[in-house]
Amino acid sequence: MGTFLIEREMLWNAFSTTLSLAVISGLLALVVGTIVAGLRVSPYRPLRLVATAYTEFLRNTPLTIVFFFYVFVTPSIGFAFDYRTAATIALTCYTSAFVAEAVRSGINSVAVGQAEAARSLGMSFRQNLLIVVLPQAFRTAIPPLISVLIALVKNTSVAGAFGVFELFAMSRRLTNVYSADVIAILLGVALFYLVICIPLGQLAGRLERKVAFAR
Amino acid sequence: MASPLNRRLFLSGTVGAAAALGLAACGGGGDEEPEVAEVDTADFPEGSTMAKLADAGKITIGTKFDQPLFGQAGPDGKPVGFDVEIGKILAGALGIDADGIEWTETVSANREPFIENGQVDIVVATYTINDTRKEVVDFAGPYYVAGQALMVLVDNEDITGEDSLAGKKVASVEGSTPAQYILDNHPDAELVNFDTYSNCVTALINGQVDVVTTDNVILAGFVESDPDNLKLVNDGETFTDEPYGVGLAKGDDDFRAFLNDTLEAAYEDGSWAKAWEDTAGVVLPTPDPPAVDRY
Amino acid sequence: MTHTTPDAAGGSSSPARPLVELTGVQKHFGELHVLKDIELEVAAGEVVVVLGPSGSGKSTLCRTINRLETVDEGEIRIDGRVLPTSGKGLAALRSEVGMVFQSFNLFAHKTVLQNVTVAPIKVKGVPRARAEKEGMALLERVGVADQADKLPAQLSGGQQQRVAIARSLAMKPKVMLFDEPTSALDPEMISEVIQVMTDLAKEGMTMIVVTHEMGFARRTADRVVFMDSGRIVEVREPEAFFSSPETDRAKDFLGKILHH
Repeated sequence: MGTFLIEREMLWNAFSTTLSLAVISGLLALVVGTIVAGLRVSPYRPLRLVATAYTEFLRNTPLTIVFFFYVFVTPSIGFAFDYRTAATIALTCYTSAFVAEAVRSGINSVAVGQAEAARSLGMSFRQNLLIVVLPQAFRTAIPPLISVLIALVKNTSVAGAFGVFELFAMSRRLTNVYSADVIAILLGVALFYLVICIPLGQLAGRLERKVAFAR
Repeated sequence: MASPLNRRLFLSGTVGAAAALGLAACGGGGDEEPEVAEVDTADFPEGSTMAKLADAGKITIGTKFDQPLFGQAGPDGKPVGFDVEIGKILAGALGIDADGIEWTETVSANREPFIENGQVDIVVATYTINDTRKEVVDFAGPYYVAGQALMVLVDNEDITGEDSLAGKKVASVEGSTPAQYILDNHPDAELVNFDTYSNCVTALINGQVDVVTTDNVILAGFVESDPDNLKLVNDGETFTDEPYGVGLAKGDDDFRAFLNDTLEAAYEDGSWAKAWEDTAGVVLPTPDPPAVDRY
Repeated sequence: MTHTTPDAAGGSSSPARPLVELTGVQKHFGELHVLKDIELEVAAGEVVVVLGPSGSGKSTLCRTINRLETVDEGEIRIDGRVLPTSGKGLAALRSEVGMVFQSFNLFAHKTVLQNVTVAPIKVKGVPRARAEKEGMALLERVGVADQADKLPAQLSGGQQQRVAIARSLAMKPKVMLFDEPTSALDPEMISEVIQVMTDLAKEGMTMIVVTHEMGFARRTADRVVFMDSGRIVEVREPEAFFSSPETDRAKDFLGKILHH
């Protein structure tokens, strides 16, 4: 822990980078994933196919390859981002596929009659989704969504391999310099991930209780 | 009239052919093999490691299987490179020819245990001599001094050495000693870290970074595989010292002295220089052999 | 087998254009032919009760009228306009056709009042204040105004179904479809829903009701449509249908229903 006191500026940089990667890509992934889930139940087949392909492709691709794509491949065809932006895009794309699956399973858990009632009242597909189906789908989707977000927090460590100095990259740098304190440094870094993930888990518990009452 | 592109292709073809020749020389046996001494077991003190190995006509040598130019396993599973040639020279002095050598892959993490457990007789594997390691194994040599160097794109003219790194994007591997060297000595350079050197090279070729830094040995491997795009700054000039030694069991001083003698003899008779020129010399200039350290 | 054609029965309705017209409707579920040669006209203000054994296609018929089920062949017109197959036109026509489901299908995450106001606000663009005022009036009318702020799950089945009726009425539909509205209710709650439906009929609402409530059919229906095996078998005035059914299948059906 003494190491962290000496290097507290570096620690703060790394921690805030990890946090902002997780928060920004988390929020974006929730939006993108929800849109993709909506497209997957769309009445238009081409949209369904595109959304299914997007989800299946990203969900079944190692994250490092997604990173590699945005860090090295898109720049070579003329779309260059700085490393942090590339990391945010990679994490958003990858996570959104899992969000889409969680939300889709939530949508499937909403009784068919709900959507039928909405349709019979003259609601469009979009209104049906936004007003009736998604608010209910999110209730069942909360536990899997929180798991997805916790996985995202840990996945931010992959950014350390692609030019972004975050917690995990910091741990590698510190263990090289303070090789006698390897265990303390790794435990300390694990603690900082916990600091982000444990509140997420608690939030999940709170949301679930609230929703359980409303049902 | 040859366009610059054609010229480049032509040059790369030449280098490629030279590399192929070098590799063929290492793998093929025949005339190109290092000389095998006519050895009588009685030449060695009774009970010594040399006598035992010479008697058996076999030696097990640990080397890397993934380090181009030094120790890289070919499709047939046999490693080729400068370390391998050094191994053959040392074995030859014991009267053991190439067929009597059993090559075992050693990686950075298992070199000491392999020596301590007797799984290998010696290790020639880009093995840096340092005090921590000397507590558990002994080293003959050094037979080569590697060091941190810089690699840039072939058309880069403005990076001429470690003093021209200010404001440049420098790629290395996070948590590695070369990366830390840049942090400590060149805080005005913009360090970008990846998890593997191949990703650093991709970033360099994409123009996302200006220079890649790590040991010249590793960089030379990349230059060998892509000489059209990559080059070493100042012919691979190094700014740190990583002396490579031959690892052997701790306390076997007779054997260590024998290995040192053999290395010095190889310096003298030109076989060391030939080994270099056939392998790493494809990319790196031939250095003066380093003085062995008989500690 | 005697077969009263729908056309003949429809002849007695008003000379004005019918509000709901089904012509030559065919539907299959895979191999199963669930709607066969359906011809039906319902005039404005008319109450039509659809009877038949389970699996006769009466629910499916009801659901095709606002295209919750698609049809394979034939034409469905609401107020003279052909039901569009998708898009805004379909949504607009649906908003003119109220639907009450067997399982209520109230929006589980919205309060009773929100259930009644959401469609007028979002689909028709009615200002919130007016939608809530009208919504409260409708809840008053079906007798659940005191439950306005509760969630559907906190209400009894009968109350929920009355809210569902109010929700449909809030869109000021031209015609109301009832798909077995009392089948999921405990017996003591059936009458409160039937009462609301009877009141609605008296006020002149055009209604197509799929039900097993013979009392309601007898007292309130203008015509009874009897279906069997996907076909409309008889279309009669209720008194005539119940006292002297023309077909053997109707006789058989009534015999089973009325004798227990």
